[in-house]
Amino acid sequence: MIEVKNVTKYHSGRPVLENISFRVPGGTNLGLIGPGGSGKTLLLKIICGLVEPDEGNSFIKGQQVQGLGLAELTKLRFDIGLLFQNYALFDYLNVTDNIAFPLRQAGKHSEEEILKMVQESLNKVDLPHIGHQYPNELSGGMKKRVGFARAVIPQPPIVLYDDPTAGLDPVTSSKIFLFLKAMKEERGVTSITISHDIEGIKDICDNFVLINRGRVVFYGSREEIENEKMPLVRQFWQGFSADTLG
Amino acid sequence: MSFLEKFLKMVGTKFLDWSFEIGGMVLLAWEIFRNLLPPRMDGPETWRNFYRVGVKSFPIVVVTAMLTGAIMVIQSGMYIKQYGAYGLLGWGAGYSVLREVGPIMIGLMFSGRVGANNTAELGTMRVTDQVDALRALAIDPIRYLVMPRVLAMVVMLFLLVVIGDLTALIGGALTGEALLGVDSELFAWSIINYILLEDFTHGLIKALAFGYAIALISCHFGMRTSGGAVGVGRAVNASVVTSAIAIFVIDYFITYMAA
Repeated sequence: MIEVKNVTKYHSGRPVLENISFRVPGGTNLGLIGPGGSGKTLLLKIICGLVEPDEGNSFIKGQQVQGLGLAELTKLRFDIGLLFQNYALFDYLNVTDNIAFPLRQAGKHSEEEILKMVQESLNKVDLPHIGHQYPNELSGGMKKRVGFARAVIPQPPIVLYDDPTAGLDPVTSSKIFLFLKAMKEERGVTSITISHDIEGIKDICDNFVLINRGRVVFYGSREEIENEKMPLVRQFWQGFSADTLG
Repeated sequence: MSFLEKFLKMVGTKFLDWSFEIGGMVLLAWEIFRNLLPPRMDGPETWRNFYRVGVKSFPIVVVTAMLTGAIMVIQSGMYIKQYGAYGLLGWGAGYSVLREVGPIMIGLMFSGRVGANNTAELGTMRVTDQVDALRALAIDPIRYLVMPRVLAMVVMLFLLVVIGDLTALIGGALTGEALLGVDSELFAWSIINYILLEDFTHGLIKALAFGYAIALISCHFGMRTSGGAVGVGRAVNASVVTSAIAIFVIDYFITYMAA
């Protein structure tokens, strides 16, 4: 469903992603983990065509993303939901309008249906009464949940989550992880989840990719990562802080 | 590195920077043109921009234009008095306001208020991933963000110059009456008899060109912003300076061609 082949990206002549390759089979969730600044968010943007790689390609449902025209890329993006690390909510729209935005743009639902779907989404993320508020009136955790609701409301078959629980309290985090799990199990969503909350994503991801300094240092299942002997992987997976990572 | 090498490197870097910016603006102009045929833009966002750009600029334009008209009369008042040519006061103030001062003053005011605001808004959206969020939601940022702004800025600067011209003439007439004792009817008579329709349309053509230039420049710098809050500040600065230069360059060429 999602494939990344030999992706390399340079910044000021220095590689920030180097020869990255992995596959995410349909209906599975891949955990993308690694230290901060290792290129995870950049990789997510390359996968959905927001950033062009210098080498290599990404494929969504067998279709090569790079080289697509604007119309084809736009069509492809209807199938992808993206939750941004820093929420990326539209400042000038209130919460209801932010979440309703992709539905209104698609023009497939009546206004009544849209408002009903928005309210259901808000209920799911435990924010039933903030529809009239603007992003600058919300806390970081609330913004994250609104961003989450906006990313999944069009019910895309593929969702890319960039740190969905960053800044959330443990209770809300576990609710979000349960929601991610339900998205996979009930709707068969294929997803990639970036997270630093290893305990949280252990149970919701089928496979894991560990990136360090722009390179894949591990790619395998939960069982494989738990049995991996490589110090860096063990250190990251088990959260040791004795040495600096990598 | 010798002084000559350093100098050549600096010139080369500047040349490349400017080429990059001009190239970016040409590409954006092409994208705008492509989205005009047929017109593709978001309705609510277009109306929001018409309000933000036009209605909110109205008070400041009226005040500026009123004072501009008054200043033109004060400046010419000395000579009018000296030669007793009171019947030419309306023509003198009107001719300069309609052809030059009106469009330029309102254009510069518009660039400082609307253009800078536009660059800051787009720049902030860019550095906070809101532009990427639009693209990720399968929405073309040019169609959704740039087109409504360009349309609103071109139409609204045109209308603001029309209103500004009339307000400036009223300001001139009131000042003429108060300071020089020139009857408003005489002032109006002077305008009607000596000012040609072409003088008025000449200014409006400039308003259209200025509006498009300010829109193109402010959107270009906004959409190319990078580097967080510092980057937004840099983009706004570049946008305001480039818009001001563009206004005078365009004014020069339109005036030259019409001469």
